[in-house]
This record gives sequence, structure tokens and C-alpha cells, in this order.
Amino acid sequence: MRPLILQQVTVALAGHPLFQPISLTVEPGVVMSVLGASGAGKSTLLAHLSGALPPAFKARGHVRLGEESLDGRPPEQRRLGILFQDDLLFPHLSVGGNLAFGMRPRAGGRAARRDAIGRALASVGLAGFEGRDPATLSGGQRSRVALLRVLLSEPRALLLDEPFGKLDAATRGHTRQWVFDEVRRHRLPTLLVTHDLDDVTAAAGSHVELKRYMEA
Amino acid sequence: MKRFVLALVFVVAGIPVLTGVGLTLVEAADPAAWTVVFQFPGIGRSFAVSVWTGLAATLLALGLAHLTVTLAGTAAGAERLRALTLPFIALPHLAVAIGLALMLAPSGLILRLLSPWATGFHRPPDWQTIQDPMGLALIIGLIVKETPFLILILLGARAQVPVDRLMLQARSLGYGRLKAWWVSVAPLLQRQIRLPLAATFVFGMTNVEMAIPLGPSMPPPFAVVLWQWFTASRLELRGPAFAGSIVLLVVALGALASIWGGARLTRAALCAYSASGHRGTRAAWSGRLLALLPALSFVFAIGAVAALGLRSLSPMWRFPAVFTDHLEVDLMARAAPSLGTALGSTVALAAATALLSIALVLLISEGLSDDSIWRRRVEALLFVPLLLPQLAFLFGLQSLLVRLRLDGTWAAVAWEHTVFALPYAWGLLAAARSALDPRLVLTARSLGAGALRSWWAVTVPLLLRSMVLAGAVVFAVSVSLYLPTLFAGAGRVMTVATEAASAAASGNLRVAAVHGAAQAIAPLVALCLAALIGRSVFRHRQGVPR
Repeated sequence: MRPLILQQVTVALAGHPLFQPISLTVEPGVVMSVLGASGAGKSTLLAHLSGALPPAFKARGHVRLGEESLDGRPPEQRRLGILFQDDLLFPHLSVGGNLAFGMRPRAGGRAARRDAIGRALASVGLAGFEGRDPATLSGGQRSRVALLRVLLSEPRALLLDEPFGKLDAATRGHTRQWVFDEVRRHRLPTLLVTHDLDDVTAAAGSHVELKRYMEA
Repeated sequence: MKRFVLALVFVVAGIPVLTGVGLTLVEAADPAAWTVVFQFPGIGRSFAVSVWTGLAATLLALGLAHLTVTLAGTAAGAERLRALTLPFIALPHLAVAIGLALMLAPSGLILRLLSPWATGFHRPPDWQTIQDPMGLALIIGLIVKETPFLILILLGARAQVPVDRLMLQARSLGYGRLKAWWVSVAPLLQRQIRLPLAATFVFGMTNVEMAIPLGPSMPPPFAVVLWQWFTASRLELRGPAFAGSIVLLVVALGALASIWGGARLTRAALCAYSASGHRGTRAAWSGRLLALLPALSFVFAIGAVAALGLRSLSPMWRFPAVFTDHLEVDLMARAAPSLGTALGSTVALAAATALLSIALVLLISEGLSDDSIWRRRVEALLFVPLLLPQLAFLFGLQSLLVRLRLDGTWAAVAWEHTVFALPYAWGLLAAARSALDPRLVLTARSLGAGALRSWWAVTVPLLLRSMVLAGAVVFAVSVSLYLPTLFAGAGRVMTVATEAASAAASGNLRVAAVHGAAQAIAPLVALCLAALIGRSVFRHRQGVPR
């Protein structure tokens, strides 16, 4: 795994940058947090990193993965996994179908993919859930499936957009710990955007703050 | 992508209207033609009838629609009302008008049900209950058709406003149900229903589908006069017909302005009304009594369809029998030998229009998915054909088709049908598209799916139900279209609409009933199919949008 590197990155709307340019390096297996009040441009920053910035915005600075530049690449070529506050499981696909969606074709074909999905589900206590309708799962189960889906797509880095915000207090701590453990196990450079200081503490990595841009 | 989409919208929907109106203006530039228009005997009365019937029907239908939506109560009731209303909207104007004529006429269904036991009549009385000089039958027809339409529009607007909370608040302040609606909810809905209301008004004043069977005949409403001139084989009436279309266009623009002005006045009046402090509480029974009024408009629509069925299955419909002695389907075929051909081309055209409209709306809404400003502009443009009198641009458009050598072809008719169907397809499908969470597609792409696969594997399945419903609605719209079929088809493309209208115009209500019945049934079948499909796809996936 290679580090995720941001160099002087900011996003401008109608010529005005939303926040002061940030530069940071996220090493593999590390969760770095980006803090900011609501409206500070956190989601816009993530949209830019994922490659889905609305055309009204203009990005500045550079985003790299190791030596590889990601600037201007469409989302499907970046291979950065994203988890949002909502799990965004595809409602028309089964749990298994959701997991298979992002998997790369591999030797062994269909059977090998099915086995991989079965093992992944079993590893998070959801053995036999392949055929289930995502709408019938609990909140905690859904967020586990969402993370599995990202991990099975073999991302090169992970972007987390307040992914624990909607979980109830009991599930939150547990799910959060599990996500961070998986990040370390897969050695994924991970950028966590949040306004919750508990998230930052649990991530046990460093953090940066998005500051409003001031004209000089 | 965006430029391509905008160009496409312009070619498909913009050009027909622009060149239609433009060529109408050019052809009307003959002073002699204008003299004919203004010297036509009864022109003043004809005009007055058009404006009066359109205005009265629109206002009454709007009142009934508000009343119905109020009485439906909370969001759950609104959902039930929506499901109830859809089939009535799918009924074509022409079929309903022919059915109402068969129901309201002195020899019609109502008097048959009452005779001779209640009325003592053994032969139809000499009354003028349809085609009456005041246009009352035409007003009833328009109300029966437009009330369900406005109900659906109000329900759509209602979803944008926190109605249940507003009503609770007003009622806890002591307001009765109806007054609570008028002072707290109605002013908020006004903006959103302006365009559809204007379309209803313009259609009411300028339609021929309902005016031919139900409207007065000496003189007929102005649109019918123009229709007679356009379809007359005498070439010297073409100029006056074009000149008259311009008059119709000006009247429609006046109608639009009056809807805007009227909306302001109403708003001021409602605010003054709410400031009076009267709570408007009445006994519960008066509310129930009021509920009978909208119910009556639904009953009339059902009665019209029943009358169509009875008349088309009865070779001889002797007064006062309701049922004929021998119902014979075989005779129905003999009475209208063209039925098979007409129905076949109707269904083929409607299916082609549905496919074309859905494909276009999918393409356009995808191209504009991240640009809400252009989405609104395109929506406004697509709505234009519904805001103009059809006669004001259809004949001009036919001159264009003749120049392109497209007149009388199926392609031309399907194109014109699509122009009229697009606003409906857009309303149903583009709304569903913009309601989709954009992060779903972003998630798909971050998981490695390209733009095309994300669209095909995520967007399309999630829109499938809306596509099916939009398809059925467009099918119904296409089946109902009369003037576009007549003009673009140049008399060579024959549908149940053109057959029913020409039979009704020549007074052959039996043949009109046969085609009218087919015209009424086809959209209902399409809606039922759509409901079945919508229910069976993704039956085991609760999270898929309805």
C-alpha cells in the first residue's frame, strides 16, 4: 500500500476558495482525521478526493497515491473506497449482490467470488446473509455490509464521511473500533472527515482542521 | 453531453412549437382572411362561449379539487386518493365527452334509468340537455375531466409542503377543516399549481374534443369553428383559419396573464380572509354533504364509460330500455368495420410514443443531472405545448411537415405525440431521477464501475418503477390525442381518436361510441398492466423507490 498525499489542496466556488489549502500525508494503516464545523467544506473536499466534484467547483492543488497522480481521474479509476453516513447499499440488490458489485473479476470465476463473499460475511457474523434484502437488516448490520463491500473492491485508500453519525450510541463505539481495526489489517491509508471529537480520539491518528479561507 | 442534450431538447420539442407558431403567423398575414374571421356570423357569441365555458369549468374544477384534497385528510388519505384518481386521468377527453353525451342527452342513460317509472316518458322529451346554447353540458364535461387532473396536481404540490403539521396547527387554533386548508395550506400551493392550472384553462377554452360532442352548435365555440375551417375542403377557408388561430393564441396568452393576476388577487383575498379571525367551524354533516360534489364528478365519469359500453354493444338502443334485447359483439364489428385497424394503429403509435418519450427523458435528465437550473428551464420548455392552444401551432406545424415531406407519415405523428407526452413523462420520470441520492452512483463508481455500468446497473433499476408508470401515462396521453393525430397524419393515419371524433361530428353516436369505448379501455388496460408490473418487480426489495 502507498500513502495518500494531499498537496496544497483546496476547492473554490466562483473563484473563492472554501478553506485554506491543506497538505498532508496519510501512511498505510493510519486513520487521519479532518475536523471542521458544518459548512466548512468537509464534504466538498471528500467529493473532490473521490473524483465527483460538481462542475461549479474548481479544485486546486494535487492529490497523489504514492507517486501516482489522481488529479482529473474519474472515480472508477481512482479506486478509493468511500463510506458515507448512510450505508448506501443498493436497494435493488441482495446483500450478496451488493458485495459482488465492486469485486474485480478473478481467476476461478463465479464460484471463487461466491466463496469470497461467503467468507467475508461469516467473518463479521453475517454468515448466510447473501440472499437477504438490505432493507431488512439492522443499522449495525448494514454498516458492516457497506464496509465489506468497500473492502472486497480492493481499494487503495479509504475515505470516510462521518460514517458513524447515524448509528445509535450502543452500536457506534463497537462499529467504529471494528472499522479502524480492518483499516489497519488491510493497511489502508484512511482519511476520516468528522465533526465528532470522539471519532478523532478513537482513530488514534493525527488530525488537521479545515479553516475558513481568509483573503490576504 | 449537456450541449448535446440541450440541442436534442430544442430539435425535438422546441422546433415544432416555434415553427408551428411562426408559420401560422406567416400564413395569417392576409388582411382578407381577417375580414372573413371578424365578419363570420355569430363570431362574438362563439368567442363568448369559449371564454365562459373555459373559465367556469376551470374555476369549478379547481374548487372541487381543493375540496377533495382537503377532505382526503392526512398524507395516507392523499396516497389513497392518488391511486383512485389515476384511472380517471387516463380516460381520454373525447371518449368521456361522447359517453357524457350518451348519458345526458334526452334519450340518454340518466333518463332511461328514470323512465318510465319516475318520469312517465315513453319517448325522449324534447329537451336540450347537450349542445345547449349556454354550454352547460360542455362545462360539466370539462369539470368531469379536469377535476381529477387538478387533484393529482394538488397532491403533487401537497407533498412539497408540511400539510399535516400546518393543518394541525390551524385546527388547534380553532379553525374548521375547510377554513384551515384555505388560510394555511392553499396559499402555499398556489405557486406550484399555476402552470397546470393555466394549461387547464387554455385547454378548456380552445379544445375541440369535448366541444364537438357536448358544446353548442349554433354557433359552436371558436375552436370548433376553426377546426371546421381547417378540415373543410374549401381552400379559401385556410387563410381565415390561420388568422383565427392567432386570435386563439392571443386569447390564451390573456388567459395565462389572468391566471397570474388571479393568483395574486386570490392570495390577497385569502390573507384578508384569514385576518378576519372567523374560525369557519360548521357541523360535520355539512362537510360530508360537500364531499358529495367531487364524488359526483367521479360518478359522472363512470356513468360516461358505462354509457359508451351500453351504446357500443347495442345495435338498437330503443328508449327507455337501458339494456338492448340482444347484446351482440358481432354487430359491433359490423357497425364500425374500421375498429380493428384504428385500434391497431392507436396501440402501435402509443407504444412507440411511450418508448420514445421514456428514452428521451432518461437521456435528458441524465445529461442535466448535476444542473438544476437547466433542468428547470428544460421543464418549462417542455411544458409550452400544453400552455398553447393546439390549433395555434399544429396547422403551422403541418405546413412544415409538408415541406419536409413528412406529413401523413407515422414518424411525424409519433413525433407530435411525443411533443405532447414529454411534459408528463418528464413530470414522472425526471422527478424520480432527481430524487435519487447522487451518492449511490458515486458509490458505484468508487467501487470501480464506469459511468455506463453505474447507469445501467444502479440508476436504471432504481427508476424502473417510475419508467413503467410513465410509460403507461404516456400511452394514455397518446391514445387521447386527436388534433395532433389529425393534422400530422394528414387524414391518412387513422386512430380510434380520429374515427370517434369524425363520427361524433357527423352525429353518428353509435360508431362514435364503439371507437370511444376502445379509446377509453386502452389506457385503463395499460395502467393495470403498469400496476401489475410495478408490483412484481423488486417484490423482495423493500428499499427500492415506489
